[in-house]
Amino acid sequence: MATALGGFKAIAPVPSASDFIDIALSSTQRKLPTVIHKNFKISRIRNFYMRKVKFCANTIDERIGKILTEFPILENLHPFLMHFLNILYDKEHWKIALGQLNKARHLVDQVAKDYLRLLKFADSLYRAKQLKRAALGRMATILKGQKNALEFLEQVRQHLNRLPAIDPNTRTLIICGFPNVGKSSFMNKVTRADVETAPYPFTTKALHVGHTDYKYLRWQIIDTPGILDHDIKDMNVIEMQSITALAHLRAACLYFMDLSEQCGYTIEAQCKLFQSIQPLFRDKPVVVVFNKIDIARYEDLTPENKAFVDEIILQPGIQTVSSSTITEEGVMGVRDAACDALLAHRVEQKMRGSRIDAVANKLHVAVPKQRDMKDRPAFIPAKALEKKKYDKTDPERIRLERDDEQDMSGLGIFTQDMKKNYILDNDDWKYDVMPEFLDGKNVADFFSADIADQLTKLEAEEEKLDGEGFYESGDDEEHNSEEEEIADAAKQIELQKAQLKLKSQAKHINRAIIPRKAKNVTLKDFTTGMRQIGLDPKHLERRAAVLGEKEKAAYEAYVKRQEAKEAAEGGMEVDAGDVEMDEAEGSSTGARGVSARGPKTNRQLAGMATEAQATKAALLRKFAVREPNRMARASESDRHIPITRPKWMLSGKRKQGTNSRR
Amino acid sequence: MAVRAQFENSSDIGVFAKLTNSYCLTALASSSNFYSVFEAELQDVIPVIHTTIAGTRIVGRLTAGNRHGLLVPSTTTDQELQHLRNALPEEVAIQRIEERLSALGNVIACNDYVALVHPDIDRETEEIIADTLKVEVFRQTVASNVLVGSYCALSNQGGLVHPKTSRSEQDELSSLLQVPLVAGTVNRGSDVIGAGLVVNDWCAFTGIDTTATEISVIEATFKLQGQTQSAVINEMRDSLIDNYA
Repeated sequence: MATALGGFKAIAPVPSASDFIDIALSSTQRKLPTVIHKNFKISRIRNFYMRKVKFCANTIDERIGKILTEFPILENLHPFLMHFLNILYDKEHWKIALGQLNKARHLVDQVAKDYLRLLKFADSLYRAKQLKRAALGRMATILKGQKNALEFLEQVRQHLNRLPAIDPNTRTLIICGFPNVGKSSFMNKVTRADVETAPYPFTTKALHVGHTDYKYLRWQIIDTPGILDHDIKDMNVIEMQSITALAHLRAACLYFMDLSEQCGYTIEAQCKLFQSIQPLFRDKPVVVVFNKIDIARYEDLTPENKAFVDEIILQPGIQTVSSSTITEEGVMGVRDAACDALLAHRVEQKMRGSRIDAVANKLHVAVPKQRDMKDRPAFIPAKALEKKKYDKTDPERIRLERDDEQDMSGLGIFTQDMKKNYILDNDDWKYDVMPEFLDGKNVADFFSADIADQLTKLEAEEEKLDGEGFYESGDDEEHNSEEEEIADAAKQIELQKAQLKLKSQAKHINRAIIPRKAKNVTLKDFTTGMRQIGLDPKHLERRAAVLGEKEKAAYEAYVKRQEAKEAAEGGMEVDAGDVEMDEAEGSSTGARGVSARGPKTNRQLAGMATEAQATKAALLRKFAVREPNRMARASESDRHIPITRPKWMLSGKRKQGTNSRR
Repeated sequence: MAVRAQFENSSDIGVFAKLTNSYCLTALASSSNFYSVFEAELQDVIPVIHTTIAGTRIVGRLTAGNRHGLLVPSTTTDQELQHLRNALPEEVAIQRIEERLSALGNVIACNDYVALVHPDIDRETEEIIADTLKVEVFRQTVASNVLVGSYCALSNQGGLVHPKTSRSEQDELSSLLQVPLVAGTVNRGSDVIGAGLVVNDWCAFTGIDTTATEISVIEATFKLQGQTQSAVINEMRDSLIDNYA
């Protein structure tokens, strides 16, 4: 549809300069924090004001950027649209306005940058505030300077929204001619555009668009304002719109002429105009329309007028059609002639293009080659041909299910009657209830009355065939052996698969892997392993024997010592230190060894000369921790003060009887 | 004549309806509008039947049929089969088919004399189609699509095929089917002809999105309203070129 001018409708309103300033400043005010105090840290005060300046600049930058992107760049548009907009709004003016805005945007950014730099050195709230004020003030001044540009763009936007949606690429007819020759009246006859018509010149001041259907296609018709015959430099904006449309749209041109001269221009002048705008008609189908034939026809012309007219209509490639918008005589003929001419022109152009190959198959009717003598007639019931065309407005129309539904509308009780059209021998049977199951059997399985007989018959036949050996042919056996072979192979494959699976499962044991070094290996296992791989473990065995002897001797010595100690023990306590020493010695000779970093001595006994001293020290230690323990202190340096009145317990409504204490 | 219709805001009416020269099946909808579009054109001529197939509404895609018979997939319930038997004229045979490709409407395209089927269809199914529908059966593709039922619409007077069918393929198909064929679209450029169009020898129903140009091609192709296929290459040629190219 209207892709071209319709796209402009997305442009958001452009605010005026003062509005723009208000928007930027108030959003800075609203969207940022407002409370600052001179006693705050200076870095905080600086940040507060720097943020304000930055935010304001960003807001302005964004809004201007939005305006700049929304207004189309004229050079990127279709030539028709570009020139059309150029005439209406002046390309230079348009460009300058957008350029100025762009410049303003950069200036604002620059101001923000400068003042941010200054704000870094502000040493008090007052200075920072003054710098912010200065920055925002300068931004506002820059915006104030854009007053004219913004006003112009807003006007352009409002006007653009009201422009007709002209699609420059579709099938288009352009109506042109002197003022008052009946262009708009014709437009009103063939489309539903409803253009204003009046008996004075320049009733139509802008382009108008209407649409009409012809030959299964949609046609865009553009009504242009009248043109006067003078130099293109002297033409005003209204006339230039017509000229642009004629120059840049690839469309059929309908040149309207008034042979009755009622429009106020002589036939000679009208012919002159045609000749002066004829360069615009090049490579386009042109139809000259003699309008108002209810008053004057071509045949009624005086010889000299006829000569003027002949001069233009006898040129090659120009069609003439007559019409009268008052009597509606020939109006449709004009449209058809123009549409046909344009369609032929477009088709001729497209046939020359490359895209025609892609659609060639759609323009082809495959006609069948006779492949046998069989006749394959269409089957159209006589009733179908007799049937009256359904007309919604006909009071005697046939009654449809929709009508039944509408009669019951709102009640919500309508359901389609699926059984009403059943074709049965007896209409009374239509609504008979049929069970789905009867005596535990599906009724549908017994759709035929003699189904049981048929089944027994089939079974008997089958048995007979089976008995006669119908199903056991030699062919079958071969088949069987082949099948068996396949089944055998399948079984083997399955077996192998299962084994592989087991093997791979065995690899994945679900426990931590013990490193080989840490595994408990007996000497025998070790030596057998070595022998198996062909190594001589004799020296190992010898050394193991020696070590074993040594260990045995150590153990015996230990046992002996213990016994001696036990014998010597009267009522004396075992010396803890000695025992520990012994144990440490004993364990160090053990196979696995205790950590080398364990304490070698008992430090609690360090510096104690006698047992009594050690006991006393332990007692004193005990007394020393008694008081801190009682007060739940870690040590004497622990000065923690616990919360005495917990908030969770004491805040909230605590009227009598309303709370249950946790 | 070609009538535009829609099924509950979907323009793929071929999914929800099946039209032949002796009956018309429509899906059960929440309102009667869809049914009544068919009823208005076909009442008293052929029965228009509300039905479900296997409890679904996609009756057009699950069934295949012509004047002589109706094929339904194995998922059709006994009750639906009973309902169809009661509602269809006696001379129309109904057959439930055990076929892996159970969307019969997608894999079978037929008129009263010839049927195109999916190349992978069962041999038994092929025989049943030939016997029940009384047609010659050809395994074929349309524009290298195996779903022949989705990509073409046939009547005894003509056929519309996938828009990308080449000229030579059209000629080959046409000689098999013994009807004139045209390549075209429905529903504003959709290539699934079977989903957008149901047609018999005297009327056609298309999706609501179908354009005027498409309707005119359909009417010419199926010889509706006194048009003939030659219109496509004569009167309508210019419009079509301007529209497509």
